[in-house]
Amino acid sequence: MKIFKKISKSEKSFFFMAPALAWQICFFLLPLLFVIQLSMCTNLFQHATMEYFLEVIKISHFFVIFRSLLLASITATCCLFIGYPVAYYVALCAPARMKSKLMFLIVLPFLTNLLVQVYAWFFILEKHGVLNKFLSLLGFDFGHLLNNQFAMYLVMFHVYLPFMIMPLYSSLEKINIRLVESSLDLGASYFQTLCRVIVPLTIQGIKTGFFLVYVTSFGEYVIPSLIAGQKKYFVGTLISEYFFIGKDWHVGAAFTCLSSATFIISILLYQVALHKLVNRLQRV
Amino acid sequence: MFKFINFSRSALAVFVACIYIFLYVPIVVLVLYSFNQGGFPDAWTGFSLHWYQDLFHSEEIWRAFLNSIIVACTSSFLSVTMSLLLVHGLRHYKQNLVPLFYANALIPDIVLAVGMLALFSCLFIPLGLTTLIAGHTLLGLGFAMPIIKGRYDELDKSLIEASLDLGASMQYTFFHVIVPFLYPAILVAFLLSIIISFDDFLISFFCSGSSVQTLSLYIFSMIRSGISPIVNALSTLLLIGSCFMLLIMMMFQRNLFRD
Repeated sequence: MKIFKKISKSEKSFFFMAPALAWQICFFLLPLLFVIQLSMCTNLFQHATMEYFLEVIKISHFFVIFRSLLLASITATCCLFIGYPVAYYVALCAPARMKSKLMFLIVLPFLTNLLVQVYAWFFILEKHGVLNKFLSLLGFDFGHLLNNQFAMYLVMFHVYLPFMIMPLYSSLEKINIRLVESSLDLGASYFQTLCRVIVPLTIQGIKTGFFLVYVTSFGEYVIPSLIAGQKKYFVGTLISEYFFIGKDWHVGAAFTCLSSATFIISILLYQVALHKLVNRLQRV
Repeated sequence: MFKFINFSRSALAVFVACIYIFLYVPIVVLVLYSFNQGGFPDAWTGFSLHWYQDLFHSEEIWRAFLNSIIVACTSSFLSVTMSLLLVHGLRHYKQNLVPLFYANALIPDIVLAVGMLALFSCLFIPLGLTTLIAGHTLLGLGFAMPIIKGRYDELDKSLIEASLDLGASMQYTFFHVIVPFLYPAILVAFLLSIIISFDDFLISFFCSGSSVQTLSLYIFSMIRSGISPIVNALSTLLLIGSCFMLLIMMMFQRNLFRD
């Protein structure tokens, strides 16, 4: 009797879990399989061919992937090095009553529509924009500030900085301040304390923030297509071009697979590199 | 030595202040220009609300707004309900299935969007509001699940047993013990999923087809076709909306972003 009860219990809880799991399988796992299928077969029930992959393997495509990897790496690295001091200040230096207000101001842009943020930059960078007006007061004239790489990196950095600061803040908040004090009392310099105590204690936050920014900025479509102009292709812009303008879905899917594979390899490499970096820091 | 500490601390404070200014200058300029009498390239010509009036009279924006609201509310409701059921069902299992759902937030959006488009077109499902809701629910799951699971783990399991021992049915316990305890987490998860659905561009771009427009898609097409101060007014209202949402969320869960 007891066994029957147990079975029905776990069956019942499986019934509870079923909707979420079914949703995850239908709209997450299945789509990924369909991309692979689309990149290898002309029809739903046909033998696989490699022709789409062969079409995708071109030097120019590797340049596109490389450019996207570079974009993601630069954005994540800049956000890390500039976000860390900000998170450090808010978590450990700011007065207690200011903390939640300062964090509010960090989280608000994160919850604001991405397009609103990108749109706001037009007012700064346009030909008649605020920055140009300011510069002309000082006697400079740069003309159009939009549609170049620098502007794109600036907007990327602006949009993704909160993604970095939030996990860093949460891990810095958990640091026991006595550990820092004892390190200083025992004669370590500020720099040594930072490298040997604070950074290793927050490695989880660094990892989360870095990969959050890295992953989301790799497939970025909006910012490159609105700010960088039409000259340069990134992974996101090229994929959407294959799907919407070229209507060549098979090649587009093959390119998606290829770029995802490259991307996953780059993530594994970064993980190793981050560990090595922290190990080296601890020896400073 | 003390002088050095003071110096580096104030240097850090100045640096942080600069970053805050950098984060907010574009937004402040955007809000200011939404009250400008003239259009954008003009200088400041005086305070006026007529862009807001135009915004309220624009039928296209209202339709997009309505679509966004429908999609956001439905998908948030679905994702929160499913998370709640999953988390509740999980209590009999040793394994934690929640990391499975992190992938939704941790995969480049474009891959997900392309996959869904491939799925829908291979199975001949017409694109529209339903496909949008399916996609946004998936996005919402990745955020709602960890939040609700975190709160559920704090629940004292003996409360459930006490309720059952005292003769309440499982259903009664679920609605009168578990759900009230999870209430703040449910609300936060719901609001966050709404914001994420409003914010999403790529999945809407790929899965909406040509018939349905959401606010994100509308703003995107407006930016493409040239700047119009109506979008300023719209952006300002969206900003105020997310401000409110965040305030409510902070009220209900102090350590929301400490996970």
